[in-house]
Amino acid sequence: MTTVAEPTRSGAKASSLAASEAFGTFAVAFAIAAPIIYVVSELASLPLFTYHPGTGRIDLGWTAARPNEGPAMYWYGWIATMLLGSAAAGALATLLPRRVSENMPLFLTWLLPLLVLPILAYALMPFWTR
Amino acid sequence: MDIIFDYISVGTFWTILLIVHSLLAVATLGALTHQAMSVAMPVRQATAPAGFVTRFRSVYGAGYATAICLLWVLTFILGAWIYTKYRIAIRIPLERTGYWKTLGFFELKEHVAALGLGVLPAYWYFWKNAKNPKYNHVRKWLTILLAAMCWFAFLVGHVLNNSRGFA
Repeated sequence: MTTVAEPTRSGAKASSLAASEAFGTFAVAFAIAAPIIYVVSELASLPLFTYHPGTGRIDLGWTAARPNEGPAMYWYGWIATMLLGSAAAGALATLLPRRVSENMPLFLTWLLPLLVLPILAYALMPFWTR
Repeated sequence: MDIIFDYISVGTFWTILLIVHSLLAVATLGALTHQAMSVAMPVRQATAPAGFVTRFRSVYGAGYATAICLLWVLTFILGAWIYTKYRIAIRIPLERTGYWKTLGFFELKEHVAALGLGVLPAYWYFWKNAKNPKYNHVRKWLTILLAAMCWFAFLVGHVLNNSRGFA
């Protein structure tokens, strides 16, 4: 008889957040939505804002780099889009009937980030082909 | 910020930030590797004295979850701050010298770090409910994924720093 050490160990009492089913639903929906929103935001140029590190200027949405002002950075904006969008998706998921939220496919939380990576790598093609 | 630059140079300031970022990354990497090993190769009741590998993977994974989330977020915030300086002081000179693949991998690392951020709430929730067998499978693969992401980000960051640091 072999036993796995992990689940049988007695740990600290779960916090109220960890014990909350609503938070569990929120977290799973957040994790499923995040990679989708991130990759769409990157491919469709939908950052919440653009940061210009040369001047410290921030513009709402996507804006091109201005001449003589250095590059524009979109990564922060993509993350902001992802966090806001995923939080909204998570909040909406908590409103779903329990029979629906209980059946959310948990495996998507680890599979989707893996699946979007080749897409993001493909979007970086100029770096690979120079 | 100007007060700081009265005492240390701009290059030293960013180098210190980069070293702190690296140390936080090392802590995240170590914790995640222990945890991933504990779920990928769980220790069964031993009949022989435990060796190094057995001790390495016999940690109580659930106890690492909150620390790993905090470390990932702290490392991420510091990295995001350094990224502003990197974009001008590091990337542009590396573009001029033709380090395109190194730069490409670094951009991919930034994507990986962001994707890791997105799964942290679920990862934390699954670990905080470690006794629920419903989450065993997803907890295992999410932890292994995060560990792989962390190793990738760490190695790419390390190589990039070798290519050109701030000093």
